[in-house]
Amino acid sequence: MALDFSIILRFQEALLVGLWMTIKLTLICIVLGCSLGFFIGLARTSRSTILRAVSSVYVEFFRGTPVLVQLFWIFFCLPLILGVELSNLTSGVIALTLYMGAITSETFRASLKSIGPEQFDACVALGLPRRVQVTNVVLPQAVLRAIPTLLSNCVSLFKESALVSAVGMADLMFVGQNISNNTARPIEVLTVVALIYFVIAFPLTRAVTLVERRVLAKLAI
Amino acid sequence: MTMSFSAPLVKIQSLHKSYGPHIQVLKGLDIEMKPGERVVVIGPSGGGKSTLLRVMMGLEKIDSGSISFGGKPYISSEGADRKTEIDTEVRRSIGMVFQHYTLFPHLSVIQNLILAPCKVRGEAKASATKRAQALLERFGLGAKANAYPAQLSGGQKQRVAIARALMLDPKLMLFDEVTSALDPELVAEVEQVILQLAAQDMPMMIVTHDMWFAKNIASRVIFCAGGVVVEDGPPEQVLGSPKEERTRDFIDRVFHIRH
Repeated sequence: MALDFSIILRFQEALLVGLWMTIKLTLICIVLGCSLGFFIGLARTSRSTILRAVSSVYVEFFRGTPVLVQLFWIFFCLPLILGVELSNLTSGVIALTLYMGAITSETFRASLKSIGPEQFDACVALGLPRRVQVTNVVLPQAVLRAIPTLLSNCVSLFKESALVSAVGMADLMFVGQNISNNTARPIEVLTVVALIYFVIAFPLTRAVTLVERRVLAKLAI
Repeated sequence: MTMSFSAPLVKIQSLHKSYGPHIQVLKGLDIEMKPGERVVVIGPSGGGKSTLLRVMMGLEKIDSGSISFGGKPYISSEGADRKTEIDTEVRRSIGMVFQHYTLFPHLSVIQNLILAPCKVRGEAKASATKRAQALLERFGLGAKANAYPAQLSGGQKQRVAIARALMLDPKLMLFDEVTSALDPELVAEVEQVILQLAAQDMPMMIVTHDMWFAKNIASRVIFCAGGVVVEDGPPEQVLGSPKEERTRDFIDRVFHIRH
């Protein structure tokens, strides 16, 4: 069997369009998902029983079901329930944002919990009002501590986003699959698709390690 | 605030504190501290020394009793609901330094110092920074203003923590085993700073295991064990020739370890 990678060049424009969709979807869901996760993380560590209960149910549900099932549900059930048509991109954004929110809320929760009780002692001894404790001591440390894991979460989302091809969103995976079906050249096309994902994800994974080392060095006390 | 000659700076009355139903840490503590006194509290671990300081700072709830500062009661738990009432305005006159530094790791040294003055008292950043820089110079840390806590030695961190507390012009300083976590060769630089404050007549209450330091800094020593004051007097008496048997045992054991 002769491999012919030149076939990729013929479809490079389509692949680029698919890649752009993947990146766009990932970036939107990173911004929305991390913001959602931040507030859910706060809710999960709050004193209010209701906030804790509601946020816990949400997080456990989204962590305890397959992302693919969540995607299908948002794509096919949500429009029926709401009685409105949702565009492919909107559905994809909703689904992956809800998923990302659940995952990153755990990251934020862990980093909030990791702030030792002695930091609160110091706040009291300095007479800092509660508002200042939160905005100047707790949140900056929590966010700083969360950054390495958040980056990991983002890399995962970038890879998981390939699942949207299953519901017909024209992302990199979807385009690759189509080309491979039409040309009967799965090895060349799917290998290149995998390489594209890898070339983007790998440096980011390495960056996580570097960032983690710097954050830990700064917060080691 | 007007104070007659004999008015106590701190008055602690029948302080009771327990952790859960079975562990009683403070069993009716009464201490009066006069202005200008430097009280060193010594005693076996679990005897309630650190708890006393934490209660005075408002970090722990109490079961019953009261504490006043400069004639104003600021911590009490008297009513039937046994809720610990804390007057935060009065409490702000008290500064505290802990065993484990408790600097804010995400802030530089100078930012650690100016956070409370700027946020609590609304002081302008420029003036707070100027005062902070002067304090750091005085403590031999002028070059470290922009360093982060993780880049400092234990002794430097503890000196920064003391400077941070002083930024709020406390009328009383509490030192809770501030040299216990330090490597032996770093203890002196921290004690030196506290001696400097003592020379300026800063009232202080110190919990320490370092008997040399206790002897050098105390104007009065309290031996605390089993949640009560066992002996209370000038350092020569309590450390040199204690009256109480329990104090004598403790002093003997501690000095035995040191020599």
